[in-house]
Amino acid sequence: MSDKLIDLFASILDIDPAGLNDESSPDTVEQWDSLAAMHLVAAIEEEFDIRLSTKEIMKMSSIGLARATLKDKGIEL
Amino acid sequence: MSETPSSSKVIGIAGTFTVDPLALHLKKELGKNDPSFAVAPYNQITQLSFNPEQILDAPTDLLIVLWRLEDIGFEELDSFIDTIKRLRENYKGTLIVSTPPYPSTSEFDVHDLSQAASGQIAYAQALIRFTEEVKKINSVNLLNLAGLIENFGSANAHDIRKWYLYKQPYSEKFWKVIAEQMARLISAQTIPAKKCIVLDADNTLWGGIIGEDGVGGIELGQDFPGSAFYDFQKHLLHLRAQGIFLALASKNNPEDVQEVFDTHDTMVLKRGSISAWQVHWNSKVDSLKTIAAELNIGLDALVFVDDNPKEIAEVTERLPEVTCLMVPEEIAELPDLLRNTGLFDIPNMTEEDKKRADMMLAETKRKSEGQTMSEEDFIKSLELKIEVFEAQEQHLGRITQLINKTNQFNVTTIRRNADEVKALHENSDIVLLGMNISDRFGEYGLVGVVILEKADEKIWNIDSLMMSCRVLGRGAETSMLFMTGQVAAAKGAQTLCGTYIPTPKNKLVENLYKDHNFKSENDGWEIDIKDLPAPPDYVDVSLTMKEGGD
Repeated sequence: MSDKLIDLFASILDIDPAGLNDESSPDTVEQWDSLAAMHLVAAIEEEFDIRLSTKEIMKMSSIGLARATLKDKGIEL
Repeated sequence: MSETPSSSKVIGIAGTFTVDPLALHLKKELGKNDPSFAVAPYNQITQLSFNPEQILDAPTDLLIVLWRLEDIGFEELDSFIDTIKRLRENYKGTLIVSTPPYPSTSEFDVHDLSQAASGQIAYAQALIRFTEEVKKINSVNLLNLAGLIENFGSANAHDIRKWYLYKQPYSEKFWKVIAEQMARLISAQTIPAKKCIVLDADNTLWGGIIGEDGVGGIELGQDFPGSAFYDFQKHLLHLRAQGIFLALASKNNPEDVQEVFDTHDTMVLKRGSISAWQVHWNSKVDSLKTIAAELNIGLDALVFVDDNPKEIAEVTERLPEVTCLMVPEEIAELPDLLRNTGLFDIPNMTEEDKKRADMMLAETKRKSEGQTMSEEDFIKSLELKIEVFEAQEQHLGRITQLINKTNQFNVTTIRRNADEVKALHENSDIVLLGMNISDRFGEYGLVGVVILEKADEKIWNIDSLMMSCRVLGRGAETSMLFMTGQVAAAKGAQTLCGTYIPTPKNKLVENLYKDHNFKSENDGWEIDIKDLPAPPDYVDVSLTMKEGGD
């Protein structure tokens, strides 16, 4: 079953979505460096048409936390 | 040296701030050409200037440098200019550098009343100083980042969150704007620019229909909608001053249109601004073909502007090479029709470009006089003067341009970029010849190039020979070959060789060597220099070789 958020992360990080889950973070994914983090924020904001605060961005240190942040903003995934 | 195929360019990006988003956006803009990117580490322009390849970690064809005054500090401006000069010396590819935007720091807050004057002055001085200094450096292209921000709106262009998080100052929407502009700059290096705008008259140059409304009834002047047509004409004149031809394709009685040009007091365009007239009742397709032939340019160099969708449709269908633009329904948008199209982007415009439109006018004069006397008498009366000379540094820009855009009279069609031409110029076994032509109507300027290369002590080879088609048929080609022979002889050669490489466009020179007594040898042509035909005696030919040459 494909997950929109995982697919988005996978395409920006340029890796197989099968290798990602909600626990995935910069510590577990080699490609997730600070540069990728910047591109991820841009992609999430564009995809869901939202604006994240710096506080929210800094909290999003795993895919699960990103999902929670989006949920707080009314985006259910 | 670098034989990189143009299909897979490597683009380097460097900046005084995080510039990675540009790679992503530029990839979208340049999509089909599929370039790859090498991004230099953040804020390492100085190191980059000493060793570009090492800092970029890859050989690149083109390098973009984005920078801001607030990142380097105003007091470091001169040393930054030196850095750019050093980078130009050490980097082989195409270099694009941005102009500095108005600083976004608090000292430059536009709302600060006490700073209004001093901040503006400091910034304006820095912008002028940088731009002037960089324009003095040969082959550095400027990206007007300052202007882009102003146009887009500073508040929308910046994203303060990204600055604090990633040292990246701009919003994604603005990165897209930079990428679009960048893509235009990049394609202007490779795609030939349009050379002529073909204009309809009624409801395009003025409002209304001259045949019905009369000179007094058409809309053109200070009041809207006449003011929109007036401003459109002003923009056309501006393009003409940059070397773009203007031509008319109008279905009208010729006298009516001429009357507007001659007597309407708010006409910006004069008869002399128009390089080709096609005012009659025949089809516009025929008019466009005639205009292209008259100006000696391809149909693909034409932009056609008309308010009639049927005319646009017919031209689009029958002459797909022509770029068609329809007069907008909202006439207030007409003056901007040709802006932001990228159609006329010419990198490093040369003096020759600016003169070109004037030269063409003289050509029309030449042609109209030619109709009333015999061709031979006419050519004699031209007082044609041809100067062949060894190229100097100042000619290299124009020579590079000819090498890359001459299609028809070009024996080998070998294209070369500015750096390759510079290398040829510095090679002592290569002679780079230019040809200037003038006659009593005016100067054509530098219209011919020969690249002559030493094969051995007695044999010199014509690597390239090209000429603008406007000057053909008057003995120019014979003069050029003859003088090329003289130069080779002066260097000790007895034999001159040449090759013809066919392309879809250069059939014109298929028999050039044969017609000048060259003998077919192997897969090329050669001649004993003594056997070269002399230039016709009605041409005044001269040769200038470098002083102190061997």
